[in-house]
Amino acid sequence: MTQTKPVAITGLGCICAAGDSVVACLDAMFRGDRAPAPPVRFTTTHPYPFPVFEVPQFLGEPELLRTSALALFAAREAIVDAGLNRETLDGLRVGVCMGTTVGSTMNDEGFSRAYRAGQEPDLAPMDLILNSNPADVIAREFGFMGPCQTVVNACSSGTDVIGLGASWIAAGICDMVVVGGADELSRITYNGFISLKISDEAPCKPFDVQRKGLNLGEGAGILVLESEQSRQERNCKARAFMLGYGSACDAYHQTAPKPDGDGLKRAIAEALACHNTEASSVAFVNAHGTGTPDNDRVESHTLAAMLPGVPFLSTKGYTGHTLGAAGAIEAIFCVACLEQGRIPASIGFVTADPGLGGCPVSEPLTFTGTVALSNSLAFGGNNAVVVLGRGDRA
Amino acid sequence: MRRITIQGIGTFGGFGTGVQALAQALEKGLVAPSIRAVPTGHGATELAALRADLAPLEVLVQARTLRRMDSFSKLALLGARLALEDAGLEPAGNDNLGLVIATGYGATTTTTYALMDSISRDGDACTSPIHFANSMHNTAAANISLQIGATGPNLTISQFHLSVPSALLTARQWLLDGRVERVLFGAVDELSDLMAYLWMRQRGEHWAGPMAPLATQQETAIPGEGAAFFLLSARDEVKPSYCTLQDVSTGRHSGPLACGTDLLVLGADGRQAFGATYAAAAKGARVTCFTPHYGSMPSGPAFDLAAAALMLRRGKAYATPASEACDFSATVLPADAPLAKEEISCLTFAADRGFGRIRLGGV
Repeated sequence: MTQTKPVAITGLGCICAAGDSVVACLDAMFRGDRAPAPPVRFTTTHPYPFPVFEVPQFLGEPELLRTSALALFAAREAIVDAGLNRETLDGLRVGVCMGTTVGSTMNDEGFSRAYRAGQEPDLAPMDLILNSNPADVIAREFGFMGPCQTVVNACSSGTDVIGLGASWIAAGICDMVVVGGADELSRITYNGFISLKISDEAPCKPFDVQRKGLNLGEGAGILVLESEQSRQERNCKARAFMLGYGSACDAYHQTAPKPDGDGLKRAIAEALACHNTEASSVAFVNAHGTGTPDNDRVESHTLAAMLPGVPFLSTKGYTGHTLGAAGAIEAIFCVACLEQGRIPASIGFVTADPGLGGCPVSEPLTFTGTVALSNSLAFGGNNAVVVLGRGDRA
Repeated sequence: MRRITIQGIGTFGGFGTGVQALAQALEKGLVAPSIRAVPTGHGATELAALRADLAPLEVLVQARTLRRMDSFSKLALLGARLALEDAGLEPAGNDNLGLVIATGYGATTTTTYALMDSISRDGDACTSPIHFANSMHNTAAANISLQIGATGPNLTISQFHLSVPSALLTARQWLLDGRVERVLFGAVDELSDLMAYLWMRQRGEHWAGPMAPLATQQETAIPGEGAAFFLLSARDEVKPSYCTLQDVSTGRHSGPLACGTDLLVLGADGRQAFGATYAAAAKGARVTCFTPHYGSMPSGPAFDLAAAALMLRRGKAYATPASEACDFSATVLPADAPLAKEEISCLTFAADRGFGRIRLGGV
């Protein structure tokens, strides 16, 4: 791996069940707020309504898929946070790299049902999907001319995009890259995760001995990555620096992580090596921490082996699992926590599981370190990791 | 900068199976479309299409392995296996091999029918977990990595008709950054009932062929399906390479693109909406176009790439199908015309002024 220079993160934007801005999300998490509830945006015939983390107050935009509308909402916050506007963006080589799952899938229940019934369904739902590629939507909105890429790597997408965007900056392909992830809550994914028997009928409990699975969520997280030259020219401070990215595939199972955590270990090692980051210098780890028995077992043992003694938490107890958005939303939380020098409690965790490699933080924790690491594990055996360092913004 | 070469090509589609089948089709000059029955509200309707045959996969992979695999993954796996075979690599134990897959629409047979049917017919509680797992866009990458033991970075990109240059940009960057020394890069799209139906509904009266993509003012597109995979390497390989991958750029253009290469392989695929853009970009240039061999599909630029690699290896051009229909000012290369320089650019245009440009060079 060629070592690369840190890449500045100069803007953040976020919307999810925890809040409709980065500040609102962090405030809610430090208050210990969470409100998973049965879905309200769709009906279900399950005997028990599995709870979800919706953003019910978000109405979306009629001409876009909800996923892309969420992405656009977060992108607007990130652009403003970076001190950018259409004039300052003009002339810059700006790329977009977005992760999603639902936002790229050609499925619409009403359309499918009508077609299967031998009708000639209205094409509007399909046109909506074809018009809502998340990366394209952001590029169109802001007039970006650079590379446009939608990563569909299941639940690691939101982490992968940060690494890919940073490589575009490092390679001189772009002055700036808007990266992030977005996913809406969908009846299809809701049913799909329940069918896999990895959804919890109660609020999720990552790393707890009683954990039974995940709760789905929805939202979007956006980060603005920027070259040193660009931010120096506009005298912009960094909220954080991207210090490393690693990814590796288990090649083991389509939906389950490899028991020995081999892929995750290699991803962590690669991410740390990018900038010669010592494991002992990591202040905290944002774990993927879905609350499924398999994920939390593999991940906790891997963290114990690779980053012994480093505090870790899962924020999915506040947001639900937002799939393709999760990695980006959680990287944003890492940046905000590095700025504040504290992390919230890993909500949902009460009782230690002796079968795990360790316990997450059960209370808010202050720290003095300047480096954080964020993991994502995904269907397909994908493991993605980013290393983030505190920025120079006061 | 590290030198990146194409060491193996695995491709199949309406022209047949394997890189030799593509080369033969390019030499012969024409591939006849077949007829696909498409279920509609008025009963089955016939659509001319360039379809892929999955039967060769059963020779390469045990039936037991394939029994739970969706059609989209099978298409990709066949392309992947053919590329490894062509590169002289084993189909297993590929530690640290990177995998990058481009797809315009993903697993549309599984998502829209198998999964939806399980929900609609039997209720939420009977949703099929297998179909759900197979409905993910990265299901093909997951299945390939499992089958060939590819444990390196693994990525799937979906950017409609710019999926190929977009994904190749990342594959190339991984190699340049030294993340991996080899990447299996591929593109795959299936002409499912859904995509065939949408094709017909969006176009009304459809064209029965032949495609004439250089007749840019006419709609002559015929849908295709298949996969094209490449073994990219940044190593000093013993085996002779097809060509070098010199540059990939993608984004939105604000005017005509300057390519500065000897020859442009146009991704024009008979869609009239993009005809004028191709005509403007190709004005005065030496051009060729091979989409009539594999049809119109988001993965098309990967087949262009395969054709360009074959031309660089043989040092001369293939005939451009329906070249006589060209309605813009350009030099359409005749069959066997020598390449003036060992450099070819593959050019793709998409909605919202999107473009992709892949530059290949000799070895």
